Amino acid sequence: MNRVPNPLIDQLAGDLAPVRPIRLIHGVALVALAAIATVILVEIMDGLWRGIVDGTANGLFFIANGMLGLLGAASALAVLKMASPRVGNSHEGARWSFAMLGLLPATALVTLAIGGSLASILADPYGMECMGAGVGFGLVTAAALVLWLRRGAPVSINAAGIFTGVAAGAIGSFAYGLACPIDTIGHLGIWHVLPVAIAAFVGRLVVPPLIRW
Amino acid sequence: MIADESALARLMVASQKGDANAYRVLLAEVQLWLERYFRRRVAPAQLDDLVQEVMMALHAKRASWDASRAFIPWLAAIARYRWVDHLRKVYRTAEDELGEHDAPEDSEEEAVLARMSLERLFVHLPDKQVEAIELVKIEGLSIAEASQRTGQSESLVKVNIHRGLKKLSALVEKAE
Repeated sequence: MNRVPNPLIDQLAGDLAPVRPIRLIHGVALVALAAIATVILVEIMDGLWRGIVDGTANGLFFIANGMLGLLGAASALAVLKMASPRVGNSHEGARWSFAMLGLLPATALVTLAIGGSLASILADPYGMECMGAGVGFGLVTAAALVLWLRRGAPVSINAAGIFTGVAAGAIGSFAYGLACPIDTIGHLGIWHVLPVAIAAFVGRLVVPPLIRW
Repeated sequence: MIADESALARLMVASQKGDANAYRVLLAEVQLWLERYFRRRVAPAQLDDLVQEVMMALHAKRASWDASRAFIPWLAAIARYRWVDHLRKVYRTAEDELGEHDAPEDSEEEAVLARMSLERLFVHLPDKQVEAIELVKIEGLSIAEASQRTGQSESLVKVNIHRGLKKLSALVEKAE
């Protein structure tokens, strides 16, 4: 047996102190708190749309915001797992959820193109506001996820950046979506999905330097 | 014999609680495991450095292991992460010393073994990227020598190494 004494082992053992191990459930609680805080922030700053409970909101409102919420949850879970890495993590759930969200802009573009009203997307007076708010409110979730990743040992740095952005954009857009009374496919499918794409791009650029170790 | 998954996991649980004796045993086992894991994945002269680097990473990130999950896949993910990092560093050195990079003086047999192992790991990469990485990383050829050997231009060798490493880094967790 080849067991050559290694001074590094003594050095590391001498430096050993108890640590509080990462628990996935704590990460889930952290993201849940961040999402709840985001919704409360939206209520304070803009006021949630009362049409959600009085029956004014149509089915598309629930489908679009439900998809955003689920994508946020799936992506956040992928990020939380990345902090405690393991060979064999593929994060397929988050990838498929992201692909599924693409149905919204695709449907918006196809239906508006067929109806000859594609230009109405750019003419939407509230589009930019919803997009900016979605990205902005996503910062709460982004901060929580970056903190978690910094505590952990992410080994898929770029993917962690992208999924942090996707989760933040999706949860931010979901939360702000609860305050937005416009429930047309042209508005929801474009302006409430764009924050996810923008946040994914920003996350890919900004998060890796913050979590590399 | 290297301890099995459950023994390593028990030692790691004790280590996270601050048990220095358990940690010494764990690190000794981890050292053996890493030596075996990397033996065919790096030039033999760089094996010790890489093993020590991963042991220090394990120490710094020991809180990131969740006891409800297996220990060895966690260790392997960290080992791969450091390994890709190591390949990047070797690449930078090779670029800096274009034309002056000496081949390691270890036996040809070791280099062949290293290459075989990488071929198994690199199944997700195009052949030209694998070839460029193997020649420059494992056999220690310069970019110019690798270019002559493969018939790829020097720029193409560099591009293939760069893209291959990028892809490898994306596969650290994913590839089983």
